[in-house]
Amino acid sequence: MTPASDDGLFERVLEAGSTDGCGAELYERRGRLLELTEDETGTSLLESGERGLALRLFKGGRSAFAASGLAHAFSLPDQARARLPRARTRRGVRLPAPAAGEALEPRPIGDPPAPNVDLARTLLTGFRQALTSSGRGSVAVREASVSLGERTERLATSSGRDTAWGSRLATLVATVVGRSTGGRFSARVVGAAPRPEELPVARLARHAADRVLLPLQGRPFEAARADVLLDPLVAAHLVGRLAPLFFGDDEEVLLAARTRDGRDALASPLLSVVDDATVSGGLVRGVRDGEGTPQGRTRLVERGLPSGRLTDSAAASRLSRPLSGNAIRVAWSDAPRIGVTNFFVDPSPGVSPLDLLGSVSRGLYAAVLLERPDVDLAADRFRIVVAGYAVEKGRATERVSEAAVSGRLSEFLRGVSGIGDDLKFAIGGTGSIGSPTLLVPRWKLG
Amino acid sequence: MKELPELARDADDAVRLVSGLLRRGETGEAFRERVRTESWSATESGLLAPALSVESGTAVRIRREGRLLLVARSGAGPEALRDAVREAGRLAGNAPFFKAHRTTGAAPGGRDAERPEEEESRSAALAAALARAFPDPRGVTAALQLSRVVTERTVVTPRAFLPCGARTRLVATGTIRRAGAERPFSFQSARPFAEAADALALALREAIRPVPALPPQPGPVDVVFSPSAASVFWHEVVGHSLEADGGERGSVLSRVKGAAVAPPGLDVHDDPGRADLPGAYGVDDEGSLARAVPLLAGGVVTGLLSDRRSGAVETNGHGRTASFRRPPRARMSNLVANAGSATLDELVARCGDGILVKEVATGSADPESGRFVLFVAAAEAIRRGRRNAPLAPFALGGEILSALGAIEEVWGNEVLPATGLSVCVKGGDAVPVGGAAAALLVRGLFARTARR
Repeated sequence: MTPASDDGLFERVLEAGSTDGCGAELYERRGRLLELTEDETGTSLLESGERGLALRLFKGGRSAFAASGLAHAFSLPDQARARLPRARTRRGVRLPAPAAGEALEPRPIGDPPAPNVDLARTLLTGFRQALTSSGRGSVAVREASVSLGERTERLATSSGRDTAWGSRLATLVATVVGRSTGGRFSARVVGAAPRPEELPVARLARHAADRVLLPLQGRPFEAARADVLLDPLVAAHLVGRLAPLFFGDDEEVLLAARTRDGRDALASPLLSVVDDATVSGGLVRGVRDGEGTPQGRTRLVERGLPSGRLTDSAAASRLSRPLSGNAIRVAWSDAPRIGVTNFFVDPSPGVSPLDLLGSVSRGLYAAVLLERPDVDLAADRFRIVVAGYAVEKGRATERVSEAAVSGRLSEFLRGVSGIGDDLKFAIGGTGSIGSPTLLVPRWKLG
Repeated sequence: MKELPELARDADDAVRLVSGLLRRGETGEAFRERVRTESWSATESGLLAPALSVESGTAVRIRREGRLLLVARSGAGPEALRDAVREAGRLAGNAPFFKAHRTTGAAPGGRDAERPEEEESRSAALAAALARAFPDPRGVTAALQLSRVVTERTVVTPRAFLPCGARTRLVATGTIRRAGAERPFSFQSARPFAEAADALALALREAIRPVPALPPQPGPVDVVFSPSAASVFWHEVVGHSLEADGGERGSVLSRVKGAAVAPPGLDVHDDPGRADLPGAYGVDDEGSLARAVPLLAGGVVTGLLSDRRSGAVETNGHGRTASFRRPPRARMSNLVANAGSATLDELVARCGDGILVKEVATGSADPESGRFVLFVAAAEAIRRGRRNAPLAPFALGGEILSALGAIEEVWGNEVLPATGLSVCVKGGDAVPVGGAAAALLVRGLFARTARR
């Protein structure tokens, strides 16, 4: 990490913001990203550095936000102050206070080091080799890219919080093409990990091969009703869509309606849902959120019953709940809003996925999603289009090119009769979403 | 003396720096961008919290034999350019020429040029638009993000400094709930702010109408597309299939260049010069002059949209990027189809039994396999050649070559701009796009439920 070259700018902007009785919170992000892409035309190498500051002012239940790069940093207090009178007063909106015992020393940050291009090249080569093996010559890479990113962040407030932290993320994105006598099919797959060496390259290659070969080589699933076994990554994208239900007090009315004011369960007693910024395997390794609150583990659904909420400082105040550390800044130029870190189904009561498969007499193993899940939380409806395998007496019998699983979401979640112990994560929401294999018996298809 | 715009203060030095960077056999340019976003969070009861962000950046790109090097830095002044050139030179193994004579870039502490009272009047216009959209907000829940985005871009080639101009858009995204159903809301307009705010109010009013309960019967169906919906059809079916980033043979259409795939007389071209549509530009993001490119001429596949990296195909001014950090790719701008001779009512009568698709919310296409899906937001049934009951949202699928072959030889006589087409996301990169088309009758598409 190189030292900051313009010592004092951060402090001066914060000081200028905290006049006129305003509470000020100043955030700085510095990032480096390296992206290596190989496609049919050749290779591209992207090397990107960013630095931005964002100021929030608070006064009398109002807040205003202004963000810019270095060139306009000194105008941020004026810009935010000009907008403050136009903000609407909202309960709970106030400057986040430091926790008791929090260290208060100033912590200047520097630019993160440049990521390693050779490592990116090695990962791409590994992916190509794994895909050749998984696709048995029928799958080609049209475009693949590896991104290695690292950032450092600092947040200080006029109430005394001053903290700095860093994080990393590696992603592999590939567009692959499957070819068979039945035609061609292409798909885009994404894998991620907090560190490059943890990227699941072989698993992503297998997934990519399934994603394009199953629709080409399989047959549509004919049964109108069958046991449905959702692959962890398919289940994760469905369960992940529940996350907004737990965003502070935004969805209290909807959550109450779904559970008849707490009399009904939201999901099967087998399902517990957690948001945990530090869980092993999660794609986010969080330390602090976008308000500088330390991040941790929040249980949101306990054996089917809603139990917790994801909060920022305003929502925590309105709900009289503890801060969960879920104020997320998607970019430095965006104001923090409630979001997930690693949002997942707790696999602790799970069994081996093979045991779940063995319990299926006639069903569908949904291996890959063919479209983005269509979920309407208000109407309690969902529809996913998948490809996978037909299962009879605990064994996969033939490939399925396409099947639609749809219906009432609450019934589906309450119908979960088995969960696996194979928790996997995918990029989703403002962080990552995860699930083990889920089994729902006798569900209608089509 | 009039002050030079921020992106153009060091024009001469910038050109010198870029030309000094490139070696024989290399092409390249610098790209500068400044994006100013005024935004408001809003609900059905009005505007909540205002925000402003100003982000500027510089990218330096070097191309050599199919390889691209892009170095991006925050800031659009001389320092950012010099830093990016220095790093690009190091990564490319070059020795960049550094002789900057004048540095007149903005020093830290520069102020934004926009006047506060103008922003205040825009806030008032938006608040009024929301009040018109939700005259009685009972039973409606809206969670919206409204943004006015001003994007300025400049390309610096080894020979010239090419300002791409400033584009202003009003963007709204979020969700709207009514009567136990949630629908995503997305709106974008490049029209003057007052007109855009009026259009937003209309779009919001439309979005809170009760959703019809019954979707069409799943299965094959004949479809009349309204002019607005036809633009999205052309965008997914013809536009994406003829973007050269998939290679010259990367799609079902590019593989049959020169073949007649649609009725004779049908022309579709991509026109960045249509200033009335959201995808317009004069110079693309690689510094190439924008050109109209015929994609279908008389029903025959004729063209391919290309950028500087499109292999054997020369650029025709379609290198577009979502941000200075992303590499340009061959992308559509405004897809325009020609007029035919029939009225919409004549097409409905000709259809017999089928569906009139009025608005398409979103769509996707896999040019490799030729499959496409359109998610229909508003439609009516057609019974015995007459418009019938409204239908619930549904999905419409098909195969590109079959669908083009199934277009009736008579199509609409009125070409209108698309209302539901404003941003296209491909590979995670969003660029503004537009379209204008006439109504179409396509036989044998496949309807299916979108959710239920």
